Amino acid sequence: MALLELKNMTKRFGGLTAVDHLNLKVEQNQIYGIIGPNGAGKTTAFNCITGIHPPEEGAVLWQGKEITGAPPHKVAAMGIVRTFQTIRLFTEMSVAENVMSGRHFQSNQRWWHGICHTPASRRDEKENWLKVKEALEFFKIDHLAAEPVGSLAYGIQRKVEMARALVSEPKLLILDEPAAGLNDSETMELVETIYSIRNQGVTILLIEHNMDLVMTLTDYITVINFGKPIAEGIPDAIQSDPMVIEAYLGSEDDDDE
Amino acid sequence: MKKSPNKKIGYTVFILAMLLFPALANPKWLAIGSTFLIFSVVGLSEDIILGKGGMFNMGHALFFGIGAYTAAIANHTFGIPILYAIPLAILIPALCGIILAGPIIHLRGDYLLVATIGFNIVFLQLVENDIFGITGGPNGIFGLDTPTFLGFDLASPTAIYYLGVAVLLLTFYVMANLDKSKAGRALHYLRLDDLAANSIGINTRGYKIFAFGLGAGIAGLAGVLLAIQYSAVSPEAFNFMQSVLFFSIVLVGGSSLPGILMGTFVMFVLPEIFRDFATWRYFIFGFAMILAMILRPEGIFPARFGKIPDYFKKG
Amino acid sequence: MDIFFQQLVNGLTIGSIFALVALGYTMVYGIMKLINFAHGDLVAMSAFVGLSVYDQFLGGTTNSLVAVLTIFAATGVIIAMAGIILERVAYRPLRNAPRLSAVVSALGASLVIQNGIMLIWGPRMRFFPADILPATTWNIGGVYISFIQVVILVVSLLIMAGLIFFIDKTRVGAAIRATSIDHDASRLMGIDVNRIITLIFVIGTFLGAVGGLFIGLYYRGINFNMGWNYGLYAFVAAIIGGIGNIPGAMVGGMLLGIFKAFIAGYVSSTWADAFTFTLLIAILVVRPTGIMGERVAEKV
Repeated sequence: MALLELKNMTKRFGGLTAVDHLNLKVEQNQIYGIIGPNGAGKTTAFNCITGIHPPEEGAVLWQGKEITGAPPHKVAAMGIVRTFQTIRLFTEMSVAENVMSGRHFQSNQRWWHGICHTPASRRDEKENWLKVKEALEFFKIDHLAAEPVGSLAYGIQRKVEMARALVSEPKLLILDEPAAGLNDSETMELVETIYSIRNQGVTILLIEHNMDLVMTLTDYITVINFGKPIAEGIPDAIQSDPMVIEAYLGSEDDDDE
Repeated sequence: MKKSPNKKIGYTVFILAMLLFPALANPKWLAIGSTFLIFSVVGLSEDIILGKGGMFNMGHALFFGIGAYTAAIANHTFGIPILYAIPLAILIPALCGIILAGPIIHLRGDYLLVATIGFNIVFLQLVENDIFGITGGPNGIFGLDTPTFLGFDLASPTAIYYLGVAVLLLTFYVMANLDKSKAGRALHYLRLDDLAANSIGINTRGYKIFAFGLGAGIAGLAGVLLAIQYSAVSPEAFNFMQSVLFFSIVLVGGSSLPGILMGTFVMFVLPEIFRDFATWRYFIFGFAMILAMILRPEGIFPARFGKIPDYFKKG
Repeated sequence: MDIFFQQLVNGLTIGSIFALVALGYTMVYGIMKLINFAHGDLVAMSAFVGLSVYDQFLGGTTNSLVAVLTIFAATGVIIAMAGIILERVAYRPLRNAPRLSAVVSALGASLVIQNGIMLIWGPRMRFFPADILPATTWNIGGVYISFIQVVILVVSLLIMAGLIFFIDKTRVGAAIRATSIDHDASRLMGIDVNRIITLIFVIGTFLGAVGGLFIGLYYRGINFNMGWNYGLYAFVAAIIGGIGNIPGAMVGGMLLGIFKAFIAGYVSSTWADAFTFTLLIAILVVRPTGIMGERVAEKV
C-alpha cells in the first residue's frame, strides 16, 4: 500500500482546470518529485492534498484511507506537513517560537492549560521546547533562536520553515520549491538535509524547478503540464522522455519566474 | 522563563502602588481607581481576542454586560448572594461568546468588526426593552445586595477596590499562563498567518472560538465587579461606545500587560483628570488618539516576542 | 396595505440618505481598506454648516431654488475641504501602519469632529426652518408623499447614476478602479495615488454632505452627535452591499432604509436596531462579504 495515493484528483477554478485527473503513488521512504512548467498546477496539487483547496473530483488516499477534503489541521495531524513556495513564517516572532508551532499537535496540553497550568502541562511545555532546540541544532540555527524571523536572510528563513515542519514529526514532508532563492552552497546543504531527513524515516514529496537538484535527489518523478500528468518514472527515464523535453522547451518563452 | 530585573521591579512597584492607593485617595478617586481596575480586566480580556487572536471585536461591552446582568438578575430576581453568582457570571458570558462567535468567526476583518458591533447593539436593545421582564428596561436594575464574604461585609468602597485588585491579579495570572501555553501561542500564530498556522496542525477556528469564550468569561467576571461597585446595572454602561473604548484601550496601549494598563489609564483615567476642561476635553482627546497612533502605530507597549526558555541561551 | 406603501415611500427616502452616506464609506474603503469612522460626523457637520449658510446669508428666503443650490454648493465645498484635511491629518500618516491603528485614528477623528460641532454650534438640538423647500404633500390613494421626499429620491438617484458613469466610463474613474486594486502597480502606471485618494475623499464627503443636508431638510432636527447613528446605519448599508462595492452601497442603503421603515411600521421603532443588526448578521453568515461583495480566495 502506498503511503499517499492520488486518484483522478481534479481541481477547477472557475473555467480553469488547474489539476486534471492527477494520479500518483508515493511509496514509504521515497523522495518523490513533481516537476512541470510554471502554472502547471503543481502547487495547486499540494493545496488539494493538504486541504487548503479541496479537490472537486477524485480522491486523496493516505495509508489506504480516503482523506479527501479534510481540513488542513487534520491533514497535518495525520502526518502530512508542508512548506510553502513563498515562505510563510510568523514574521514578528522569534525563530524558536516559529518552530514551536510545529510542536502544536504533538503537545499534550489541552485548552484549559492556557488558563491554568498543571505540573504535567509544564513538563509537556518543557519537553516541546527541548524538541525545538534539537530541531534548531539539526538545522544549525540554534544560535538564532531568539532572533525575530522576519529579519533573517532568505536561506535561513527556508531552514526555519523546514525546521517547523520537521519538528512536528511528519510521516510525509511536502516541500514546495525548497531551493527557490537559495545560492549554490545553500542548495548543496539542502540536499544533505533532505537526505538526512529521509534517513530518519520521513517520506518526502517535493516540487522543484532546479532540474539538476531534482534529478540527483529524487527516486521517482511525475511530470505535469496543464494540470495533467504527462510522464512518470525514475529520473533517468524522465530526462530522456521526449514528451517532457517538449513540455519544457515549449514553455520556455511563456513564463519564467 | 525568568523576567528581566527591570520588568520585575516594574511589576512590584505597580502592585505596591495599587495596594497603597486607597490610603491616599479621596472617595472620588477611589471610585475611579476601582473602575480603572475593572476596565483593565476588561481590556485584558479584549486583548485575548483582539490583540492576541487578531479578531476585530468591537462589541466587547456585550460580554461585560452579560456578566453584570447575570449577577444582577441572579441577585435581584432569584435572591442569590452576588458573590455566589460569580461562577454563573463567568460561564454564561463565556458560553455566549462561544455560541455567538461560532457562526461569524469565519468573517474577515471588518466584516467581523461590524458583526460584533451588531451583537452589542442587539443586546443593548433587548436589555432596554426589558426582555422577559427581568432586565429592568432603560433604567436597569437597582439596589443589589452588598457582597458579604465569610461574614465580612464588603460594602465599603475600599473593600470593593481590593476585590478589584484581587481580580486583576487573577487575570494577570491567567494571562501569564496563556502566554506560556500551546493555546496562547496558537492565537499568535493564527493572527500572524492563519493559513500557515492551520497547515502546521492548528485548528485555527477552534482556537478563535476559544479566545472568544475566554475573553468573554473574563469580561463577565469584570461585569460582576461593576455591578457590585454601583449596586446596580444599567444599559448605557454596556453600549457600543463602551466597546469602542475597550477596543481603543488595546490598540492605544498595545497588546501586552503594561500596554493594556497604560491604555486603560490613557483612555479612561486621563479624561477623568481633565474633567474640568469639560467641553474641550474630548475634542483634544480625539487629537491625542490620532497622534498616539501616528507616533506609536503598534500601541505604547506593543507585544514583544522572543520570550524563549533560558536553556536556549548559551552561556 | 396603506401602511405598506407609506412605509415603502418613507423607507426609500431614508434609504436614499443611507445610500448617499454609505457611498462615502464604501469608496474610501475601496481605495484605502479603511473604515472611515469620522464620515458620519462629517455628515452631521454638513447639516450644521448648511443651516449656518442659510441663517447667515439667506435668512428668510423661502422656496427659492437658488437659495437651496447655494446651501448645497457652499456646504459641499466646505465639507469636502474638511474631508481633505481629515485624510491629510488622520489617515495619510498611517497609510503603512497596521490597519487597526488607522481605525483608532478614525475613531479619534470622529471624536474631534463631533466635539468640534458641539463647541461651535452648541450641544442643543437645532432645527432647519420648515419653509426652505415647499411643504407640498400629495395624497395618492391614502399614501402621503411630500415634495422633499421626491427631491431626495430623485436627486439621490441622479447623483448615483452620475457616479456610476464617472467610475465606469471616464479615465479618472478607471484610475480610481486601478488604484483600488493595487496602489503600487497604479503608481507604476503613472497614476498619482495621493491625488486619487484626495479625490475619493472629496467625492465621498460631498455625497455625505448631500446626505447630511437631506437629513436636515427631511427630519429638521439636527444634533451634534447624530453622526454616529446615521454613520453606523450607512456603514451597515455599505457592509450589507459588500464594502468597497459602489452599486452594493446603493442597494444596501435602499434595502436597509426600507427594512427599517417596515420594522417601524409593523413592529415598533424601539426594536428597529435589534432587527436591523440581526438581519445584518444573518446576511453576513450566509454571504460573508455582503450581497455584492467579491469572494477573494487567498493565494498560496
